[in-house]
Amino acid sequence: MFEVLDPTYSEASEPLQLVNRPDGLGGLTVGIVSNGKQGTATFFDALESELRTTFGVADVVRVTKGNYSAPADPDIMHSAQHWHALIAGIGD
Amino acid sequence: MALSLDLRSRRLDFDDVAAFQEFAHANNWSDGLPVVPPTAEAVAACLTWSLMEPDHLIGVEPVRQRALTAEKVAINAVMAGCLPQHFPVVVTALTAMLSEPFNLHGPTASTGGCGVLLIVNGPIRNELGMSGTFNALGPSDRASTSIGRAVRLVLGNLLEVRPGEIDRSTFGHPGKISYCIAEDEENTPWLSVAAERLGDPYVSAVTAVASMAPRQLMNEWTTEPTEILDTFVAEIKANMTHYSIWSGNYAIVIPPQLRQHFDAAGWTKADIRAYVFEKARVRRDEWAACGKAAIVGDQPDREYLALPDPDHLLVIAAGGPAGGFGAVIPPWLGTRSHAVTTAIGACVDCEVP
Repeated sequence: MFEVLDPTYSEASEPLQLVNRPDGLGGLTVGIVSNGKQGTATFFDALESELRTTFGVADVVRVTKGNYSAPADPDIMHSAQHWHALIAGIGD
Repeated sequence: MALSLDLRSRRLDFDDVAAFQEFAHANNWSDGLPVVPPTAEAVAACLTWSLMEPDHLIGVEPVRQRALTAEKVAINAVMAGCLPQHFPVVVTALTAMLSEPFNLHGPTASTGGCGVLLIVNGPIRNELGMSGTFNALGPSDRASTSIGRAVRLVLGNLLEVRPGEIDRSTFGHPGKISYCIAEDEENTPWLSVAAERLGDPYVSAVTAVASMAPRQLMNEWTTEPTEILDTFVAEIKANMTHYSIWSGNYAIVIPPQLRQHFDAAGWTKADIRAYVFEKARVRRDEWAACGKAAIVGDQPDREYLALPDPDHLLVIAAGGPAGGFGAVIPPWLGTRSHAVTTAIGACVDCEVP
């Protein structure tokens, strides 16, 4: 019989607090954060069009991260405080 | 100075080593190879050697705000096969990797599948029996292999950088098991990688670089430094057109059989960097020759450089005594991650209390 120590991360994490989901997008400002990869442009153009024409958003703010392999720049996070919803998470 | 060595990690009991191995594998604690049981005694020995309390903060992974403590890093170092004397190098490697310029989350999550190349310099290489000669990029010695492996186990166990979890690598490469090289400083007049980057020829240090697999080349048919480097440049240019055109921290490894020609001609590492900086360039239209005509676009003559500046080339003197080979180690992805050199600050020369 012998004893070992657990090598894995053990700090308890604070559960993520989700913001309240808006009932609809009409009249709201939606931000779209691109990771900057080429494939996002066409996709987000179509998404923006859909948001405006189908969902009647007041405005769509398009921003691009400075480094697609790093968290969003601080100025993006600051701007996001003024949006009602944010779309992010695109892959390659 | 007396350490408290109050180890706080969860403790588990096993009847025998076989039971521990199966548990470790079943719980993804391993890289697929057997791991050394991380007993409290072995972990404490690492902390004692480096004079670190268990809760000493090695650093914080910024994306998920994960704090890496000395205790947890030591547990993984023991599992990797590290001796206490290896631990300061592991700590220094992780310190470099957790620094902002390295951007740890990017290279460890990317589909690109890079490893983390560790270049070790200074007196600690000899203290630990690290070899920069035979098999320099392979299983060269116990310390190099264990240290490189420790880093990978930390990434997996403390940051969930595991295949299909945070690590989304399409292929990866064998360097993701262990990728640690000691520079052969005694057999070259050149300053070491760390000596040049830190401005100190006496310090022991680790340089961490997010790197792809080594690409081996050969040129035994000339003694001219420029012609030898043209072969390295050709390999770099091939990587630029075949894999990634973006400039960043390339590393080249030059063994004795080729180094002798540079020494005879009086070439320094700076001369090598300057030459490669000028020559390692490709145009967009070169993509057409390797099946990428679709992305040449309307700027076929646009030129791309392998290096943002000459200092981005890491020239490593290493390799066995025979063989006119060389190695090009490309960066993960341009300058999305930068090579970071950190001096080993743990008190390896202090008397253990």
